[in-house]
Amino acid sequence: MKLKSNTLRTFTSVHTWVGLVAGFALFVAFYAGAITVFHHDLQAWQTPHAPMSTEQGLNDAQRLLDETLARHPKAREHVGMVFPGGEYPQAASYWQDASGTWRYATLDNLDGSDKMPGGALSELVNALHYSLGIPVAGQYLMGIVSLLYGLALISGVVIHLPKLADDLFALRPGRNLKRFWQDAHNVIGVLSLPMHVMFAVTGALLCLVMVVMMALNPLIYRGGLMAALGPAMDTAPVATAAGREQPMGSLAMLHSRSIEVARAQGLVSFEPAYFKLAHAGDANATIEISGESPGSLGPIGAVAMNANTGALLATQLPGSRDANHATLASAYALHFGEYGNTWVRVLYFVLGIGGAFLFYSGNLLWVESRRKRRQLEQGAAQLGMARATVGVCIGVCVAISVAFIATQLAQWPALRIAGDIELTIKTACFVTWALCALWAALRPPVRAAQELLWAAAVTTAFVPIAHGLVTGAWLWMAAMKGEWSLFAIDAGALAMAFGFGWLARATARRARDGEANSVWADPRARAAQATSKLVTGQE
Amino acid sequence: MWGRATAAAIPGFLLSAGVTGLVCWLLPGPWQSTLVAGIVSFLAVWMAAMALAFQFRSGKRAWAWFSGGAVVSLATLWLLQTLQWVR
Repeated sequence: MKLKSNTLRTFTSVHTWVGLVAGFALFVAFYAGAITVFHHDLQAWQTPHAPMSTEQGLNDAQRLLDETLARHPKAREHVGMVFPGGEYPQAASYWQDASGTWRYATLDNLDGSDKMPGGALSELVNALHYSLGIPVAGQYLMGIVSLLYGLALISGVVIHLPKLADDLFALRPGRNLKRFWQDAHNVIGVLSLPMHVMFAVTGALLCLVMVVMMALNPLIYRGGLMAALGPAMDTAPVATAAGREQPMGSLAMLHSRSIEVARAQGLVSFEPAYFKLAHAGDANATIEISGESPGSLGPIGAVAMNANTGALLATQLPGSRDANHATLASAYALHFGEYGNTWVRVLYFVLGIGGAFLFYSGNLLWVESRRKRRQLEQGAAQLGMARATVGVCIGVCVAISVAFIATQLAQWPALRIAGDIELTIKTACFVTWALCALWAALRPPVRAAQELLWAAAVTTAFVPIAHGLVTGAWLWMAAMKGEWSLFAIDAGALAMAFGFGWLARATARRARDGEANSVWADPRARAAQATSKLVTGQE
Repeated sequence: MWGRATAAAIPGFLLSAGVTGLVCWLLPGPWQSTLVAGIVSFLAVWMAAMALAFQFRSGKRAWAWFSGGAVVSLATLWLLQTLQWVR
């Protein structure tokens, strides 16, 4: 396919500028997002005691529900709750108080709090993923970044299209390092393109859905969108309270009824994960139990029942649901990798790290293609870009590993660290990130890159050590006990540490042996190399 | 570049809304049944429209074409809705 050179030029500059603007945020989103794939395993990892022993059952869930409804009148209108077991070791209930703020309660904290239970670390990594850790505005910022990301993908495909087949399998290692990076950037971009398109669209959806709906409502839905939303998103029909009291059925009965209903619709398995309960204690109380049926693209389905009698009201289950529920369940599952087995999540992790590499390599290519070949001194823009890339991208890798370590150490009785654990690890993370950025701003980029990569390698290698030291769940102990999710996080950290070390060595090699006039060249290392060659009589 | 970028953001948004709206309302069945799919595909359509904006020779042309398209598509949708030819 042949494109006009004008088109090619325009799309190349669109790709470059959109990439530069959105690239940093996307690096953070992909690196943190790859870790967030293992959100639930991380919740077990950060719990100080053996996670298996604290697992609760349906009786605990019933007790929590009764207490929540008794203590918090607002929860009687609408309350949600996760079933304990499987993904969530603890039952947790949530509702909106009179001012519209979400409140969360567990059996340990029946009065409820504003903080989501489950763990400060997994929440921090998740917040970095969807909002860079910036409250409120961060989510909209990431929504805009997702839109730019979509634009970068389309323009990237357009400029790559004419040579697509030739370039795809041409990974050319050798003397021309820039061409090698360009090849790697292209191959990873094209091979993971379907996944990137999906992330761009669903990412924008998850961040901007409220804004987009408010804008589209008068434009194309004639103001009827908000009223239509309930029936389109919920399974239970919208009911008003009857005003007559009636005792609620037991959770155990409703739980097993939902499985029964799913079986009757031909689903081999249905694992209830969470429920929504409306008008508790009223004759018209409804409950909507959502659960997973593995083996479907959108595995989450729901069964709605009368909460007092268990009489079936409606279902939205895989294989027999309307277009709205099928689209929503698939979009959600595709973004979070919640279909298929553990290997799908491992694939998401690898693709996530690969995506982070895509944005990192994009920035390096920008620096390299503006290299001044005939002089040692490089322009201010190239220097600034190199510093920012090193400080932000490698800095966030160091910062996240430090947050992992801080989570364990803050819970170590031996250290007697008092205070709010959430604040402790947030501070550890953002202070580390700021220090890394400062370091990159003050040092020559190539030195900062090596030093920060080594810092990332060391801190990441320390993650399984901190875990073993504090909880006693050393890598081999976890493997022997068959606690594979704990083992996988520690082993994954070790693998990442080796990766960072390898990158640090590769960067040192570039500084020493690569082309001389570049921000990535180190004259001192080159001089030392030349002297040693003279002494040993090589060349 | 700025002319085309703003055309991508503003009339591009309205044009994408018009096109998505027309498709959603013209499909058989009540409009409520394409609600989620409509909002998801709106984002994809808008991204495509943004890329298309850079195909124009100048910012002015991009603004003119996109604004015209937005007016035509939204007005058609509004007319169809008012006449109750779509529901």
